[in-house]
Amino acid sequence: MSAARLDAPAGTLIDRDQPVEFTFEGRRHGGFAGDTIASALMADGELVLSRSFKYHRPRGVLTGCGQDANSLVQVGDQTNVLADRRPIEAGMVVEAQNVFGGLENDYGSWLGFLARFMPVGFYYKAFYKPYSPWRLWEKLFRRLTGLGVVNPDAIHGYYDKQYLFADVAVIGGGPAGMAAALQAAKSGAEVLLIEENKTLGGALNYARFDADPKPAAKRRAELTAKIERTDNIRVLTDALCNGWFTDNWLPLFQGNRMFKLRAAAVIVATGSYEQPMVFRNNDLPGIMMGSAAQRMIHLYGVRPGKRAVVVAANSDGYGVALDLLDAGVDVACVVDPRPAAEPCERQSAVALRGVPVIHETVIAEAVATRGNRGVVGARIARITGEGTLAKTRDRFACDLITVSVGYHGTANLIHHARGAMRYDEAEAAFVIDKLPAHLFAAGSVNSAYSLEAALNDGHLAGWAAAKDAGFEAGRKPTAKAKGAGTMDGGASPNYPWPIFAHPDGKDFVDFDEDLQTADILNAIAEGYDNIELLKRFSTVGMGPSQGRHSSLPSVRIAAKATGRTINETGTTTSRPPVSAETFGHLAGRSFEPVRETALHHRHIEAGAKMMVAGQWMRPEYYGPAESRDANIRAEIMAVRENVGIIDVSTLGGIEVHGPDAAEFLNRIYTFAYIKQPVGRARYVLMTDQTGVITDDGVACRFRDNHFYVTATTGGAGAVYQTMLFYNAQWRLDVCVINSTASYAGVNIAGPKARDVLARLCDDVALDGEALPYMGVREGHVAGIPARIIRIGFVGELGYEIHVPSSQGEALWDALMDAGSEENILPFGIEAQRVLRLEKGHIIINQDTDGLTHPHEADMAWALARKKPYFVGMRSIAIQLANGLERKLVGFILVEPDDPAPKECHLVIRGTEITGRVTSCARSEILNKIIGLAYVAPDQSEIGKRFEIKIEQGRMITAEVVALPFYDPDGKRQEM
Amino acid sequence: MSLSPQDKLSRSPLYRQLAELGAEFAEVSGTACAMSFGEDLEAEVEQANSLAICDLSALPRAGFKGREAQSWPAAQGLVISPDNNMSILQDDGSLVARLADSEVLILSDLACESGLCAAITEAWSPDPDPGVYPVPRADTNCWFMLSGSHADAMFAKICGVDLRPHKFPHLAIAQTSIARLNGIVIRADAGDTLAYHLLTDSASAGFIWTCLLDAMGEWGGVPVGLNALRTLDT
Repeated sequence: MSAARLDAPAGTLIDRDQPVEFTFEGRRHGGFAGDTIASALMADGELVLSRSFKYHRPRGVLTGCGQDANSLVQVGDQTNVLADRRPIEAGMVVEAQNVFGGLENDYGSWLGFLARFMPVGFYYKAFYKPYSPWRLWEKLFRRLTGLGVVNPDAIHGYYDKQYLFADVAVIGGGPAGMAAALQAAKSGAEVLLIEENKTLGGALNYARFDADPKPAAKRRAELTAKIERTDNIRVLTDALCNGWFTDNWLPLFQGNRMFKLRAAAVIVATGSYEQPMVFRNNDLPGIMMGSAAQRMIHLYGVRPGKRAVVVAANSDGYGVALDLLDAGVDVACVVDPRPAAEPCERQSAVALRGVPVIHETVIAEAVATRGNRGVVGARIARITGEGTLAKTRDRFACDLITVSVGYHGTANLIHHARGAMRYDEAEAAFVIDKLPAHLFAAGSVNSAYSLEAALNDGHLAGWAAAKDAGFEAGRKPTAKAKGAGTMDGGASPNYPWPIFAHPDGKDFVDFDEDLQTADILNAIAEGYDNIELLKRFSTVGMGPSQGRHSSLPSVRIAAKATGRTINETGTTTSRPPVSAETFGHLAGRSFEPVRETALHHRHIEAGAKMMVAGQWMRPEYYGPAESRDANIRAEIMAVRENVGIIDVSTLGGIEVHGPDAAEFLNRIYTFAYIKQPVGRARYVLMTDQTGVITDDGVACRFRDNHFYVTATTGGAGAVYQTMLFYNAQWRLDVCVINSTASYAGVNIAGPKARDVLARLCDDVALDGEALPYMGVREGHVAGIPARIIRIGFVGELGYEIHVPSSQGEALWDALMDAGSEENILPFGIEAQRVLRLEKGHIIINQDTDGLTHPHEADMAWALARKKPYFVGMRSIAIQLANGLERKLVGFILVEPDDPAPKECHLVIRGTEITGRVTSCARSEILNKIIGLAYVAPDQSEIGKRFEIKIEQGRMITAEVVALPFYDPDGKRQEM
Repeated sequence: MSLSPQDKLSRSPLYRQLAELGAEFAEVSGTACAMSFGEDLEAEVEQANSLAICDLSALPRAGFKGREAQSWPAAQGLVISPDNNMSILQDDGSLVARLADSEVLILSDLACESGLCAAITEAWSPDPDPGVYPVPRADTNCWFMLSGSHADAMFAKICGVDLRPHKFPHLAIAQTSIARLNGIVIRADAGDTLAYHLLTDSASAGFIWTCLLDAMGEWGGVPVGLNALRTLDT
């Protein structure tokens, strides 16, 4: 066992029967199961965990519980792991971050010598002019900055989420939290007690509340046992509550799971952050909070040093001294900045053990080892005023300095909930001024510093929260005094000015950002004297610790420098998250719904290349990728010359039933439907209130009071919602049902389509007279009940067949079998895009945009002239009256060998952009490039020519032609 | 010998996934339904008591929507809850769920003996306009039953509604988001076993199946056949 290991009972979290080996910076280290990386390294004599961000100064344990950024390391592929929270595992590979040449000899430490050339905010004034060296600077900064190395090939971990519900949620399992949970549970409320550490107890696990350590341990055991016996308290340990959101929605992180908790009432019993003191070299490894030393001793059985100087501005600091003495640490002295007064019990106990206590004195400077890797001594000095020290220094040899000068409430969640805080001079701390509804606070975060006060505060909060959650809470517990004046020793535990600037600097206010006292003052002197500006200019509080230890001193310094009170100075806004959270936690299982048609597997089996179309998967083409273009050409020609089949299941299907069905469609769409005959389909064009085209499809009238309306793949959901929205106002007697997923649909198209279908369809006559173009029928295909729509999106004889989706696969199989004689070929989206382009049919959201109205898109034919109203009607009339600014036209290329323009290539006239290409493709059947483009109205006449700018700025000439390009008389689709 | 799902015109959207897991199929209401996964019915029943999922997509179901969605079915003899988001078990074992003032959903009993869905669908006629219209639930939705003592904890991983048995009573309905899909959850205990019907978009059946199996993995949840549920229900 290493020299720094203590015997049991020290080390309540470690299991000495399970040794664990791991590496740090390539060197092997050993510890025990339950050790954190930091505690195991400290036990092995390794004090340096990291290097600071700017000056690359060595850093070590500061809080010992993950509240600071000194302990950030990389573990395998995981960056920014808190070494004082992560348990060691066998074979774990741990490395330092932000170092050059290793943690031991970090070349970056030479930046410390350039400190005078890098004052606060220097980077705002340097590097940006002249512009030419910026590429070099950028390369340098990318090398110098950043924390950790991300491995883009890292295997994703398994993270998930779970919802949780509670009547009362208690955040913090220390004495106040445990008391609150027990009190709330008495009322019958379901209580969830959330503790970020592995065990309940909070400070009861490590702090010294009395001269005798035993009462705290006993109290902890009693409370924990009571909680375990209470059925309606559920405990989550090792669980961090990382934010507060509206209506008491709380994210909790436990392992790889994020719980999403909703609680009727929330009690914040999160304790306090112990605060550092500002003096020269206050950042050295070996200088830590008093509570950090106690955690190392009690939780991990590690002696944090051999000889200590203890700074104690409250009774807790004397408890630290007692714990160090019990752990075999030689306590050279206790320096207490306060004047001598009636000693508390713990102070008396320290004095009884022969430790000198020096009042009105603090540490002026820590003496560093070579390379600043640790402490060899402390120079102390008498306090002469607020922040000022006598010149005479006494020196004490030591390798450990503990600091206990006060606390800052862990009030993050209260800030998130917009609770109000104010600075209280007597307490020398920010205290809660007002809490929002359904939120309560207990313990030191609520100024209840002593153990008895914290327990009492917990009872009160538990009672109030249970009542607030609607439970019979019984009689209200009696409130006892708390706050300044009630602590052991009769004063606040918070020393009001623990800031002692040194003329030689290295007196750090913000450890994360390497900001010294002078940096804060210089920023204010430059005019950044508002706390928000000061933060952003200096970056104080913007590091991984997020101001836990820098907020209070920087506000104090700013207040003094600007002649304001601390309340007038204020603090910056605290927002979620409380602590760093991983993308994995936020992503969870990454639910990304995917919709597949009933024919999906048949496409895969046929060798389709699938593509994403909205939420759906659709076949782009069939066949190997190497012959993509040839495959698509073959599909196109199959439809033009033979027979093809495409899955159209994704097109929306909406049933409109009721006596007012026709009137409803008449108002929703631009065309006319009142007189649409039963057994006929009619084009539908939807515009919004501004007259912009939003969707299209066909409306099939199966009965007087029943229409089946199709929509685009991406627009079906929005069309359905639009219909519900408008009918909520119109109150027509209709019932709208979204049946998109209910039907599988295929379009069988080509000159042989009728022949194929006729083999499977006995009860519907398919000839041109019985079922003319745009006719609709109900019948059976291959024994499957079907809706048959004679339609021609691709410009050939074609039938859309819609069947119940559970029978869609059977339909496809039957049609493929029936069409085998004709070598029926499935075709995909890409072939369909060319086929419809040849017919001049637009695709919504490809050939239209967020401003296209029907006249621009040459769709005036789809506007009914005689009906009194449709959505967007008035806007369209206004747009027409204002005159067109552009027009969608069909074009071919004047030079047939010019390359095909791409979608969104611009139409240019002189220096003006007059339009853009929306669709373009090579037509095999026409043997030319064809396309659709927006042009200026005076460019839109048939025969007019215009210029398109393609890649590399090349200009090609196009000519407007009449639409459609193919089969202008429509004979092929209407045969 | 197991029926091949491709021998029937009507197919569950999940028949491939079920077949890969070793399902034995038999015809239920014209569709191949996964009846068991192996020979050990007792083990499947035990599984169903712990955490299991059963694909009920083959079983009959029907829906009706419109201004007369309460009165018309009641006139056909259905007993409907006076409250929205509550269901009532009919004497024949089928379940009538009142989704809204303007919509009801009818689920067959697990034994498929009731015939109610077929009867009521047959009884509906468009003329004269009845003020209520059929919703094609048989194809719009895939349908599962999630059963077992861990079912509520499993749901908590994919659904923000508190479905714990002491908060979500037997026969209550939640129309909510399940793994980002719109879904209908109806608590319908099978005998003494906690159980929920889940209906979601049939086109997303593959997606939700993967999500559910993933969520169930924590408690060893796996698919069971209809025979196991029928045993629980008796």
